Amino acid sequence: MSTIRVRSSASYWLALPATVWMLVVVVVPIVLLAWVSLWGGRSLSPTSPLTFDNYAKFFANKTYIDLALSTIGHVLLLMGLTGLLGYCIAYFLVMKVRSPIWRLVLFLAFVVPFWTSTLIRAIAWVPFLGVNGVINRILLALGATHAPIEAFLYSRTGITMAQVSLYTMMAAGPVVYMLNAIAPQLREAAMTLKAPPFVVFRRIVLPLTLPGIVIGQVLVFLNVMSDFATVATVGGNKHALLSNLVLLFYEGSQIRAASVVAVLLMLCMLVGVVAAMRVVDIRRLGTDR
Amino acid sequence: MGWKVRLNVTTGLLGAITLAFLAYQWLPILTLGLLSFSGPSGGTTFPMNGVSFHWYRELWQASVMNDFKPPLLRSSLLALACALTTVVLSVMAAQAMRGRFRGSGAFFYLMLLGIMAPGILVGFGFAILMRLLGIELAWNTTTFLVQVSWTLPFGFLTMLAVFNRFDPRVEEAALTLGASRLVTFRRITLPLVLPGIIGAALFGFSLSYDEYPRSMFTTGPDGTLPLAIMAQLDRQLTPEIYAIGTVTTMSSLVAVTLCAAGLWAMRRSTAGRSP
Repeated sequence: MSTIRVRSSASYWLALPATVWMLVVVVVPIVLLAWVSLWGGRSLSPTSPLTFDNYAKFFANKTYIDLALSTIGHVLLLMGLTGLLGYCIAYFLVMKVRSPIWRLVLFLAFVVPFWTSTLIRAIAWVPFLGVNGVINRILLALGATHAPIEAFLYSRTGITMAQVSLYTMMAAGPVVYMLNAIAPQLREAAMTLKAPPFVVFRRIVLPLTLPGIVIGQVLVFLNVMSDFATVATVGGNKHALLSNLVLLFYEGSQIRAASVVAVLLMLCMLVGVVAAMRVVDIRRLGTDR
Repeated sequence: MGWKVRLNVTTGLLGAITLAFLAYQWLPILTLGLLSFSGPSGGTTFPMNGVSFHWYRELWQASVMNDFKPPLLRSSLLALACALTTVVLSVMAAQAMRGRFRGSGAFFYLMLLGIMAPGILVGFGFAILMRLLGIELAWNTTTFLVQVSWTLPFGFLTMLAVFNRFDPRVEEAALTLGASRLVTFRRITLPLVLPGIIGAALFGFSLSYDEYPRSMFTTGPDGTLPLAIMAQLDRQLTPEIYAIGTVTTMSSLVAVTLCAAGLWAMRRSTAGRSP
């Protein structure tokens, strides 16, 4: 017995507002994008004939194909970097920091920037990366380089550097959660049976944290895939990823071309999420523990 | 080399990586804060050319072009509205999930879609929908609708997590003692899940306040704060942007600290009450 009866009509009424809201604002617009991307003709109206011409135009242009491929390469690079860094940080925080106060301090130091604006944090990289920027000054002072390196600001390197700082905690968070859930007895049992530390890690800890790794990777994948704002601030107008192309076409009033890119972006993400779901069942997390 | 030595080396290495990343994450934010205090002739990077409140004064006395006060007001109101709506709808939705109604699995995925679907696609699609329907875009109508679809799932997951750890026996006790379901919910359930409600409100506020991609497509001529910042960045990068960045970052930090302190005090007072 609880304040709500199982399978009562009350639960339908309670779920109704959220359902309608999400359907109208998220599902309908996404379906609409797929529909608009198939519109032919000259005017933008639902009476347009359906055709694949818009897609054909996109795939006929080698520049766009290269852009799509380089986007995927960039996303994979970021997933690798944030995954590796994030796992090291998560492992250190959970397994190595014993003092509860230090744990809290470190935890806060990592989480607090998460509550501030991503846009501002991206902008904060600009004074760092420029020719007269902080990094170049440090490198010059250390004598590591004789002339300032121009390759940081408005470059792929700079974008990568900023995005690593923005998204590593997304890769680390779920791993922290899974590491905390591992019973210490499991590791102790393995160690009593004379397994060396690395074997304990590889055979016990790593498999148990795999769902955390996968979820973290999905979060990074989705965010980097659609993060046009960091690319625009740190990369200037010189660099673009697939998501910037949506904006570019939209601002040029090429709604159909923008829809095509949006649909392709969506398909990439769908493939990524479905692949991840095959490894881990998101629904089961948090419920049976 | 014995495994104990190797273990120590690993610990040291992991610790070094962790601290280095912390510095990497914080240095740009701290630099932004420092540079916002540079003198009137200071540029957008070091040297600072003196220390002053010049750029904050500039911010306060801004002209029409780069006046951040109206967007700030709009963003704050919008964030408050989103926080309220998120709390009400997510408590309702999480309570509905406890009823395990038919289709609750699909409902869960629908909510998850709000987090998974990227802002640029949702914003773009919704803007086209509004254009086809002939509805004007405005920050207090269309932007509000879109932003709640982003904040609501976070509030929902927070409430779901809270209800998962919730002990239904206290509700049972109240119901057996003759309280109606509504009274039990208001007097027993609601106070117990209050920390989750505050968490959901915090998500609602801060996600809406910082939202950029969704707002970009769905806001009319009167923009929100992130839009104003981006517009200013497109015109010219000045330490004024650093000043506004520092102000919003500081206010986010103060809000988070206040909420954390509130939660901590609440947990202490309830811990003191139990035997």
